Amino acid sequence: MRLRFLRAPHVALLCCSLLAGPSLLGAQTPRDTVIGTPTVPLAPGRVAPSVRGIAIDERIAQDAGVRVGDTLRIAAEAGTTGEPVVVDALVRRSADPSEVARSEYRVRLHLDHLQRLTNAIDRVDRFAVAVRPEAGPSAVDSLLAGVNHVAFGFRAHASRDVAVESSRTFQVVDRFHRAIGGITIVASAVFLLCILLLKVEERRRAVAALRLAGLSRRTVALSVIAEAAVVAVLGSGVGAAIGWVATLAVNAHYQRVFRTPLTFALLTPRIALFAVSLSLVLGIVAGALAAWRLVRTPPLTLLGR
Amino acid sequence: MRTTLAWAALRRHPMRTLLAIFGLAIAAALLIDMVMLATGMRASFRSLLTSQGYQLRVTPKGTLPFDTEASVGGASALVASLRTHPDIDRVSPSLGTTVQVSIGDRATSAFALGTTAAVQGEYLLQGGREAAVDTVLREVVVNAAFLERLGATLGDTLDVGTERSAQLRQAGRRAQVVLVGVVRFLYVPPGLPAMAAPLPALQQFLGAAGRDRISLAMASVRVDGRDAEAQLARIEAVRQWIETEHPRVTAISTETAIVQVEERLAYFRQLAFILGALSLVIGVLLVTTLVSLSVNERLGELAVLRAIGVPQAGVLQQIMLEGLMLGLAGITLGLGLGLVTARWLNTILRDFPGLPADLDFFVWSPEAAWKALGMLLIASTVAGAIPAWRAARVRVAQALREEAVA
Amino acid sequence: MTAPTGNRDGTPLLEAHDVQRRYEAGESTVHALRGVSVAIRRGEFVAIVGASGSGKSTLLHLLGAVDAPDAGRVIFEGRDISRLSDAEATRLRLLRVGLVFQRFYLMPTLSALENVMLPMAEAGLAPAARRARAEELLRYVGLGERTGHRPTQLSGGEQQRVAVARALANEPALLLADEPTGELDAATGAALIALLQRLNADGLTCVLVTHDAALAQSAQRVITMKDGRIVQDTGASPS
Ligand SMILES: Nc1ncnc2c1ncn2[C@@H]1O[C@H](COP(=O)(O)OP(=O)(O)OP(=O)(O)O)[C@@H](O)[C@H]1O
Ligand SMILES: [Mg+2]
Repeated sequence: MRLRFLRAPHVALLCCSLLAGPSLLGAQTPRDTVIGTPTVPLAPGRVAPSVRGIAIDERIAQDAGVRVGDTLRIAAEAGTTGEPVVVDALVRRSADPSEVARSEYRVRLHLDHLQRLTNAIDRVDRFAVAVRPEAGPSAVDSLLAGVNHVAFGFRAHASRDVAVESSRTFQVVDRFHRAIGGITIVASAVFLLCILLLKVEERRRAVAALRLAGLSRRTVALSVIAEAAVVAVLGSGVGAAIGWVATLAVNAHYQRVFRTPLTFALLTPRIALFAVSLSLVLGIVAGALAAWRLVRTPPLTLLGR
Repeated sequence: MRTTLAWAALRRHPMRTLLAIFGLAIAAALLIDMVMLATGMRASFRSLLTSQGYQLRVTPKGTLPFDTEASVGGASALVASLRTHPDIDRVSPSLGTTVQVSIGDRATSAFALGTTAAVQGEYLLQGGREAAVDTVLREVVVNAAFLERLGATLGDTLDVGTERSAQLRQAGRRAQVVLVGVVRFLYVPPGLPAMAAPLPALQQFLGAAGRDRISLAMASVRVDGRDAEAQLARIEAVRQWIETEHPRVTAISTETAIVQVEERLAYFRQLAFILGALSLVIGVLLVTTLVSLSVNERLGELAVLRAIGVPQAGVLQQIMLEGLMLGLAGITLGLGLGLVTARWLNTILRDFPGLPADLDFFVWSPEAAWKALGMLLIASTVAGAIPAWRAARVRVAQALREEAVA
Repeated sequence: MTAPTGNRDGTPLLEAHDVQRRYEAGESTVHALRGVSVAIRRGEFVAIVGASGSGKSTLLHLLGAVDAPDAGRVIFEGRDISRLSDAEATRLRLLRVGLVFQRFYLMPTLSALENVMLPMAEAGLAPAARRARAEELLRYVGLGERTGHRPTQLSGGEQQRVAVARALANEPALLLADEPTGELDAATGAALIALLQRLNADGLTCVLVTHDAALAQSAQRVITMKDGRIVQDTGASPS
């Protein structure tokens, strides 16, 4: 005999909320890409006779309708005339999580060009130094120590330390996600348990009838538990599917809003498996709890007489 | 009597009722948190921006205050021009830069702000005194992080330079300054060492890079007895006047700044909205499930009530009361739960690098919270209405007959 | 005592004129009542008997405005109650008709006293007044000491007496009972019959459906039904 005590959409909805929590921001290596076809190759040190070339953000190109080859004016300060430049290339933003919310435009100039334009002759903000590959990681450490000890007006940082520092925003968001994810999981678990228990309770008359018909407590309890488990698993499967569709929508939306190729929500098989197995466990627990209550109570009491 | 019946119906299955209340409490807690998140950032940011009475911020064209190193020249003319506008009653210009400071063998880089003590809206004095008005960099006030980083105390003399070099001393500009006061900067992240000095002194110290330049001018628009709407319109008029009069700058009003920040943090608001909506739906679902369960079990009893003369409205009311009671209990419990989790989540988000100390993400705004909880209460009552309606419409004679058979 | 009064004159309290009631059960139609006419005078004690399925409960429901006939009219206190709106019918049941069922149907979550107070609360009686009257009614049915007990703490006979007290709560003009002794043993049933007779002696009009020969015998008038028709009536008024 089948006990139909749950309507799947309830559970599906819950699992959906379960999945909304631990969705992860995909971590990708940040690297801007040149996407325009440069009419003049961007080569460091190349000095054009009169008009210099620059590379601009794809966003400026889109928003202002600028194309490769167009001539723009560039100035260090608003209100001044500046000088003409030609757009040599378009640059697409990298998928860098720490840059997600930054919406300002960017242009790239040759170093000497920017130094002259901003009157910062022979000045730089930083150097990137590559250590010979055969030198190994210990060489990096001793080099860092050396530079920082002599302190020629610089401070040297290993790239990995810089990466850690610059990903702090991301880490905070990540921790927040984990917290919200945890809360959502606990909440969904409670909801699932509540609804499953209530739904099993709804079957108390059917259970009473089975018991009166002479089925053993064990059989009745097992059928209740099996029913709850099956429905929980089916529901979480549907929930995972809805969650997957939701990740598509979330990614499409935020990639458009923040103009980034970054992946915002990712439904990995591990997460799906987690959701399904959590629902399975909850289903069994709820089924067992309800079954225990139901089979302990005399059938006539269950009938409410 | 209807209340007694509703109450008795809930007490009849205490386990069930407790479970539903617990579930509702969690839904309510989630809802409160999400409302606090959605409205809190805006409220907190607004109160931060307006705490010193300045409603307009004038920055180099296309930038946000101190977001880049950009500055505008011809500052005195710009400030003088702003002061001529009849609706502007105060202007506070400031220049921000990064300097290197050292005392003994300790050194750090610090954010330096040139301001005019009399009108500045950047910091609050907490100890010592303001730096004396001067055109040469001699006295500074600093924040707690500054003192901590250098192990310095009030009265100490420090070395300030534009370059970090000991060896290349001649390359940068340098000055000896006395630390005269401790302040709390409103818009500087608490962990960042920062100092403030009189604007002309800092400009002079920076040489060509600072001559008559500022990074930001804050303007306060006169407030009079007009209503808020008229006041906003007046601020907007001043803002437009500044931008047309001075094409080199951008004028940002509190409203537009809030809109911009909201755009950047849209993600959190949307997350809050989705989770909040979900918890509402789940609250409704829980109440509907519980109340339908209880109605189904009592259909006969309800038919008897109808038979002995209880009108449809009476049955409806009694059952909706059950939903209302569940909602009330759940919300009361959820309120406490929500406040605790909000505090926890807030400490997590407060770790965002570069946030001013006074910015909060989760802010208890009674109006928003009561609205949300009211919504949940109404939702849970209405959720009870669906099964209640079914119960009230029961065909009396038929149900009595079925009850007799059951 | 207080209880129910009614003047024992000759005018009918309740009349059914050629009432019919059909039930659509799938394809087939069951004619539960095929045209029943009956007049019940104030102060009468009437028993309706007949084989199972002959339409007794259906008739009782029509007389008490619990259900409406498909054809024919029911006149109660001079008013046609066969086409009442739900709200009007409910009000009528609350104030003018007392109903007693075979299975008592007390509210299991309320005490005996609260069960009796329930209809008075619905009728808008002040709390103090309803408590006083409920206590009095429970004393009248012999349960003055059990007012705080829940239905589950009472025997079947006691429950049925609480149900009678509840039916009397708003001083109805008519008491309708569907097999009130059906769930009771002979002795308890006899006590209940005595109670109903006492009520009738105090002036209350009683109509009851019964299979119980003892109860039928105690009635002044017995109406026998068969296949949805009245086949015998010991006290039909010559009309
Ligand atoms: N809802 C219904 N649908 C179909 N038939 C019905 C329905 N209710 C009653 N009937 C039929 O109407 C007829 C009269 O029913 P009723 O309950 O009035 O009989 P009764 O005389 O009270 O019987 P009993 O002594 O067994 O209580 C029966 O044949 C019954 O099957
Ligand atoms: Mg019957």
